[in-house]
Amino acid sequence: MEWGPIILTFQLAGITTLILVFLGIPIAHWLAYTKSKGKPVIETLVSMPLVLPPTVLGFYLLVAFSPANGFGEWLKSVFGLQLVFSFEGLVVASVIYSLPFMVQPIQSGLSNLSITLKEASYSLGKGKTSTLLRVLLPNIKASVLTGIVLSFAHTIGEFGVVLMIGGNIPDKTRVASIAIYDEVEALNYDSANRYSVFLLVVTFLILLTVYIINGRSVRSKSHD
Amino acid sequence: MIRVSVNKMLKAQDSEFNLQIDCTIQSGEIIGLYGDSGAGKTSFLRIMAGLMTPDSGKVLVGGNRWFDRKGRVNLKTSKRSIGYVFQENALFPNMSVRRNLLFAVDETHQMESLDRIVELTQLERLLERMPNSLSGGQQQRVALARAMVREPQVLLLDEPLSALDHNMRSSMQDIILKSQRELGFTCILVTHDMSEIFKMCHRVFSLREGNIVKRGTPYEVFSENRSGGKFSFTGEVIDIVKEDVIYIVTVLIGSQITKVVADESEASNFAKGDRVLVSSKAFNPIIQKIPGT
Amino acid sequence: MNILTGKISKVSVNGNLTLLDIDVAGENFKAILIENPDKVEFLREGKEVSVMFKETEVVIGKKVEHAISLRNRLLCTIKSITKGPLLSKLRLEHMAGEIGSIITSNAVESLQLVEGEEIWAMIKTNEVTISE
Repeated sequence: MEWGPIILTFQLAGITTLILVFLGIPIAHWLAYTKSKGKPVIETLVSMPLVLPPTVLGFYLLVAFSPANGFGEWLKSVFGLQLVFSFEGLVVASVIYSLPFMVQPIQSGLSNLSITLKEASYSLGKGKTSTLLRVLLPNIKASVLTGIVLSFAHTIGEFGVVLMIGGNIPDKTRVASIAIYDEVEALNYDSANRYSVFLLVVTFLILLTVYIINGRSVRSKSHD
Repeated sequence: MIRVSVNKMLKAQDSEFNLQIDCTIQSGEIIGLYGDSGAGKTSFLRIMAGLMTPDSGKVLVGGNRWFDRKGRVNLKTSKRSIGYVFQENALFPNMSVRRNLLFAVDETHQMESLDRIVELTQLERLLERMPNSLSGGQQQRVALARAMVREPQVLLLDEPLSALDHNMRSSMQDIILKSQRELGFTCILVTHDMSEIFKMCHRVFSLREGNIVKRGTPYEVFSENRSGGKFSFTGEVIDIVKEDVIYIVTVLIGSQITKVVADESEASNFAKGDRVLVSSKAFNPIIQKIPGT
Repeated sequence: MNILTGKISKVSVNGNLTLLDIDVAGENFKAILIENPDKVEFLREGKEVSVMFKETEVVIGKKVEHAISLRNRLLCTIKSITKGPLLSKLRLEHMAGEIGSIITSNAVESLQLVEGEEIWAMIKTNEVTISE
């Protein structure tokens, strides 16, 4: 077993999750309180990756990001970004792919929060951002934590999208799940097993931590 | 002075009516909003707070336009000089009482008045507690204090006392009155409780289906043009007993139990639990100094 | 509560005190109020008002010969007497309507009141409440 794919996997998951925190929270906030007619459309788009085969998403991203295409060409000429078969491409794809895992827990956390808290904060002279950061998010810590961990864990586990758009370039796009597939193809069951056990244990520990922490916060609330 | 003249179509589950508020409130006045639930009392407060946008009209406070449909002005809630005490507990559960109060501070001079507000609301000993560990009455005291920290022009109170027991309610009323005298804000108070209105409010707006159907001093609104009964209180009938040829009706006024003699024809109109107006000509009551005060 | 109707015939004001003369079925009734006609719209001459007073405030007089300070005097016929151990209730008939009076049973006995008898029902000026 090489450490390269493992490190790459955690880098990808870490960066993706970080981006999702800044992207997913505003989207969840908007979805939780908007009265816009466009809400169902945005909600659907955000949730699509939950049901779509990852290969479908990967395929279209591959097409879109390809420098042979208008969008891909524009990205390359303006930003110098080539998203196909690159780590950056993997990050963009993972962000889209894991978006619902960040948005949904936070959106439902916010929706369950009494609207009076938000209104009270406004009445005390605070704007939307300040209200979100100081009142709303601190009161849905469990949901935020769930969003972060699920996004992280889900990115570790992705395969289809990565394979489609990233390929299998060592230290660039060869993440653990791809490495496993590769080793199995090459009949290196031993090596595949080591990668697998590692991922199994790590994701188990991450999820276990979340459930323990959330369980604790629920219990402490019911004691009040 | 506050000038409100607004229209808003309100849709409830099975009804729809036009909230039509037209009123002038002097600064420093305490106004009671009275009426059945669904009459539009809370909507009126929410319009004042900017939490609900009227379909048309104006809201002018002091010299400022808070809302003006034609002038396309709609000041955000956070930009209005208000304090709002909600019917339900709206304290931030993640902050201690002290932090809840500090949250409202946005100018340094408010820090100085904070101590006075803490004193008025008797919160000195509760500052480090978390909201969830407080009783209902304590929570509402914190909510009131928090609403006053910014020294708002207008304090909006949405039945803040309805869930409290009698003594607690009475002491909260005293706190509000005292704070009002000291801080000078204008206050709009939603309440179902007539004795609260008589105790607290300079004027009452009685709402029905979105309209102010009666307005005036509590006395004018509730005593139906009767004159000369300067000695009047509202209370609740708690007992009716026939004695001899007369009836003795026991009425709870505030926390005091009083007894009123009634004729059979009157007593037969009352039942336990009825809200009643007890009045007498000002000539009759005997007034005496209580020794030792 | 006794409720009679009448018409205000005179309004005399002194500061916050108002003395009303009210014509109740030909009898002159007086009521004093802590009120100013400027603030209370219906305190006007010629206005129809209800005159209200409690049964317990109705004094009964028989063959009154000496001068008496009570201004409101109605000559009534006793329609019925309900006697209790301590208190008695009289139902009195007058042109203005029926009036109730509650006095001590002791008074009923010492005045030797009987049904059908003519008596004076009297009410102090400050016991009368006026309503529109």
